[in-house]
Amino acid sequence: MEAFENKLIGEIEELQSKFTLTTQKLIKDVRRQDKIMARSDKRQKQEYDELQKKFAEVEALQKEIEETQKEVVFTMGAIGESRSKETGNHVKRVAQYSKILALYYGMDKKEAEMLKQASPMHDIGKVAIPDAVLNKPGRFNESERKIMDTHAQLGFDMLNKSTRPLLQMATTVAYEHHEKWNGKGYPQGLKGEEIHIYGRITALADVFDALGSSRVYKEAWDDERIFKMFKEERGEHFDPKLIDIFFENLDEFLAIRDSLKDV
Amino acid sequence: MENLTIEETKYTPRINLNMEDGLIELKGKSYPENTFEFYKPMMDWVESYFSGSEQAKTIINFEIIYFNSSSSKLFFDFFDLIEEVVNKGKYIEINWIYDAENDSALEAGEDFKEDFEKLNFKLVEK
Repeated sequence: MEAFENKLIGEIEELQSKFTLTTQKLIKDVRRQDKIMARSDKRQKQEYDELQKKFAEVEALQKEIEETQKEVVFTMGAIGESRSKETGNHVKRVAQYSKILALYYGMDKKEAEMLKQASPMHDIGKVAIPDAVLNKPGRFNESERKIMDTHAQLGFDMLNKSTRPLLQMATTVAYEHHEKWNGKGYPQGLKGEEIHIYGRITALADVFDALGSSRVYKEAWDDERIFKMFKEERGEHFDPKLIDIFFENLDEFLAIRDSLKDV
Repeated sequence: MENLTIEETKYTPRINLNMEDGLIELKGKSYPENTFEFYKPMMDWVESYFSGSEQAKTIINFEIIYFNSSSSKLFFDFFDLIEEVVNKGKYIEINWIYDAENDSALEAGEDFKEDFEKLNFKLVEK
C-alpha cells in the first residue's frame, strides 16, 4: 500500500516538474510576445509621426509649387502688358472677368480658377513685337498691323512647348483670343465653337476692358457705347451665349472694374 | 547537404546559407506576407546543418534594417534553436549588424542580446 502511494507521488512529482517547465516556457513566451508588441507599438508611433511630418512637408511643397506657378504665369502676363500700352491692372481685370464668364458658362470651379490664372498671358506674344511697332502712338498702318497681329501666333509658339496644364491652357488663350465668332478673326480664322471656349471668353474679357480704358491714342469709351457695340457684335465678334451672360451679370463685371481701377 | 541562397525582394531579405564557410547570413528587410512559410526553408536548412554537417565555428550575420512583428517572433524562435545547439557545445558567433542611424535596428538587437544571455551575440555598428 505504502509502495503504491510512493509511486503515485513520484508520478505527480514528475508531472509537477514538467508542469513547471511548461509554465516557465509559457511565461517566457508571453514576456516575449509583450516585448515584440511593445517594440512594434513604439515603432508604429514613430513611423506614424514621421509620416505625418512628411505629409506636411509634401503639402507645403505642393503649395509652394502652385504659388510659384501662379506667380510665374502672372508675371509673364504682366511682362507682356508692360511691353505694350496696357496698364498693370488690365491683366488683373481680364483675369477676373474671365473667371466669372467661365463659371456662368458652366465650367467647374477648378477650371474657372485655372482660366483666371491663364488668361493674363493672352498677350505674352507681344514681348516679341518690335518696340517701334508696339509703342507707336496713333494708328497702325497695314504692315504694322500685320506685325502686331503676329503676337497671337508668337504667344502660341512660346507657350506650346510646355506640357503643364496651366501653360497649355495659356497657349490656347494666347493663340485664340483674337479669333471671332463669325470667322473673321486671326490667326486661324476659326468660326463659332471651333474657337476654344478659353479663347472666346478671353476675347470678350480683353475687349471689354480695352474699350473701357483710355490709351495714349484713344479715350475710354463710355458704357453705353460699349454695350451698344457688344449687342451689335453678339454672334459676330463674340459668342452669343457669352454676351448674354455678360449682360445678365453686368453688375458683377462693373464691380470688378470699380475695384481694380487704374490709378 | 546543399548551400541555400534566397535572393532579396522588396519585402524579404537576402538569405545566404553556406555549409563550407559555416555561414548563416540575412540581409535586408523582413516583412513577408507569410513569415513562417517564407523562413521555413531556412529553418529546415539550419536544423539539418546542425545535425552533423556543421563546421567547428559557425558565423551568423544578421543585417536586418526593418522587420515586422511576426519576423521578430521568428527570429526569437531561430535564436532558441541556436541556443539549444550552443548548449550542446557548438561554437557559434552572432553579429547583429546595424546602421548607426537606424535606432530601431539597434534596439531590436539589444532585445535579442538581452534575451539570449548564453549566446555570443555582438552588436556591430556598420
